[in-house]
Amino acid sequence: MSLLRYTLRRIAQAIPVLIGIVTITFFLANQIPGDPVDIMLGPTPAQEQVEAIRAQYGLDRPIHERYLTYLAGVATGDLGLSIYYDRPVLEMILLRLPVTLLLMLSAFAFAIVTAIPLGVISAKRRNEPADHVSRIVSLIGVSTPSFWIGLVLIIVFAFHLGWFPARGLVLPWENPADVRGAATQFEVIRQSVHHLFLPMIGLGTLQMAQITRIERSSMVDSLQGEYVKLARAYGVPESTIVRKHAFQVAQLPVITIIGLGLSTALGGAVLTETVFEIQGMGRLIITAINNQDYQLIMGTTLVFGFVYVIGVIITDITYSYLDPRVTYGDD
Amino acid sequence: MSEPLLSVRDLKTQFFTEDGTVRAVDGISFDVHEGEIVGLVGESGAGKSVATSSILRLVDSPGEIVGGEIEFKGETIFGLEEGDDGELRPRDQMLTETEMRKRIRGREIAIIFQDPMESLNPVFTIGGQLREFIEINRDLDAGEAKQEAIDMLREVGIPAPESRYDEYPHQFSGGMRQRVLIAMALACQPDLIIADEPTTALDVTVEGEILEMVKDLQEKYDTSFIWVTHDMSVVAEICDRVNVMYLGEIIEQAEVDDLFYDTKHPYTSALLDSMPRPDETLDELRPIQGVMPEAIDPPAGCRFHSRCPEAREVCREVHPEPRDLSEAGEAPHTAACVKHDAFDVGYDESPPIETRATGGFSAGFTETGGEAE
Repeated sequence: MSLLRYTLRRIAQAIPVLIGIVTITFFLANQIPGDPVDIMLGPTPAQEQVEAIRAQYGLDRPIHERYLTYLAGVATGDLGLSIYYDRPVLEMILLRLPVTLLLMLSAFAFAIVTAIPLGVISAKRRNEPADHVSRIVSLIGVSTPSFWIGLVLIIVFAFHLGWFPARGLVLPWENPADVRGAATQFEVIRQSVHHLFLPMIGLGTLQMAQITRIERSSMVDSLQGEYVKLARAYGVPESTIVRKHAFQVAQLPVITIIGLGLSTALGGAVLTETVFEIQGMGRLIITAINNQDYQLIMGTTLVFGFVYVIGVIITDITYSYLDPRVTYGDD
Repeated sequence: MSEPLLSVRDLKTQFFTEDGTVRAVDGISFDVHEGEIVGLVGESGAGKSVATSSILRLVDSPGEIVGGEIEFKGETIFGLEEGDDGELRPRDQMLTETEMRKRIRGREIAIIFQDPMESLNPVFTIGGQLREFIEINRDLDAGEAKQEAIDMLREVGIPAPESRYDEYPHQFSGGMRQRVLIAMALACQPDLIIADEPTTALDVTVEGEILEMVKDLQEKYDTSFIWVTHDMSVVAEICDRVNVMYLGEIIEQAEVDDLFYDTKHPYTSALLDSMPRPDETLDELRPIQGVMPEAIDPPAGCRFHSRCPEAREVCREVHPEPRDLSEAGEAPHTAACVKHDAFDVGYDESPPIETRATGGFSAGFTETGGEAE
């Protein structure tokens, strides 16, 4: 079976998972005690008003009916209307999702770019000073919560040193006219990088530390492999052995960790966005929960589920691309 | 006889572990001549593999070659001399690490490892791995190297080599992978191939086929081999001359027929006796008593005395160096056992050692000596 068919099959297999996510999210959200309408109208609303609004959002109908309607809506790309924002949920998500994705991608880029060389050097110079330093850094990295790192970064680099802004985010694709102090698109991008720097490190440190640890242990293993000994015995230069022979085998567990890291990073993004006051998905989900905005809670959770499932699929596909031993499931 | 291709003199390789110094190879000497298959035989832990990795100067840390000489085709792979300050230092002629990598490893001396399942890189194609080593060691371009690789795969009996060239190791059986490793070694056209127990991990039928094939190819390419094994039947099948190792030392050295029919060392006899034979029942099989002591603290005197059925008190005290025991006009046959008259240390008058069988165990001997392999 080809890689393409494998990919399509993995996507098809994800559909039941997504239906499961929709179902669980729907019933969980509707189990939250209280009612969005109560929050909207304050402590003493008029009865007719309450009923009118409940009817407007379909809250007066029985739960199974609402579930089926919602399921049908999701299938056609309609996630309903946000009660709190009074705008379509999908519109809100499309506004916020790019911000969170930008944050996550830069955090992962930072993590991968630093962690892989660190892990490789650490493994190559096992039990030497460079290895000890990298192991201590990664141990601190995995054991420190991302919001705390974010706060420390703000205190040191924004408050005391004033090198980076402490809050907000400029998106690189924003119109220069809408961004203060930016005349050209290049200026916008510069500001964007400037704003992204601290949250990127805050969110990426945990990933960086985890990837470094796996990269190191995986490289240590593969550097002791018989195939590495064989390459040495055939006069292959040590640099080629590290970069090619040992490296490629060692990346398989690293990819798994990166894939799994996507889910932790989503959780971390919620906290990081709060610390840095970034208007992304994380803030949106918190607003939704605080206001019992059923439709928005379901919509945002669903999108998080989607991103996670896509992450797993990408991991699987990369894996099968890198490791010839992974079969595509044909007998 | 002409100049040997490889000459090893008094080679000592030690491992500096936390528990002490492991004398894995402790002063071995042997030659390999052109076109010869030389056996290196012994139980696991005897130091065979350390000896072969020493020849390529690829001893893993904490191991180190600490003494002796290795000469290959007139070049010094390893050699020390006394400096002005009285300290030993590498001789000026000794090849540098870069020269070893560029001129010796693969190009002049190739190796075949024991475990064909682990020796090939799982994420690269068979052909890619072959081609890379051929390119490095034969100065061919990629296209020529690929052609050479395919020809070599055909030579070692891999069917449809053109299509199998692009397959991955997991698509090959153990025997086929070992053929690939043999093709790899031959394709680099070295003068010497070190085969480190290459058939141990294989089925007996496959082992037979591979030995047969190596014999044919060895005649065709006239390559010399060092054949490391613990299996006396493989020795009988393939080797011209044999070195028997015990606990870091070569205790007997002879042409293969002399070794089998005129055995001079009790350890060699014990090895031969422990081989199952069709004309004997299991009860008649005589395994060697005890376990090989650790190379970290080898027994004084003859190292084999703790397990030797012929040991006498004198064996505890006298450490025999190998001596040539052959008669004039015969091929050299050395052995390191004081029971031979040539040693003249009073073996005949010495009383036998009483407690040898149990002594091996109560002294707490363990298998850790195997780590030095």
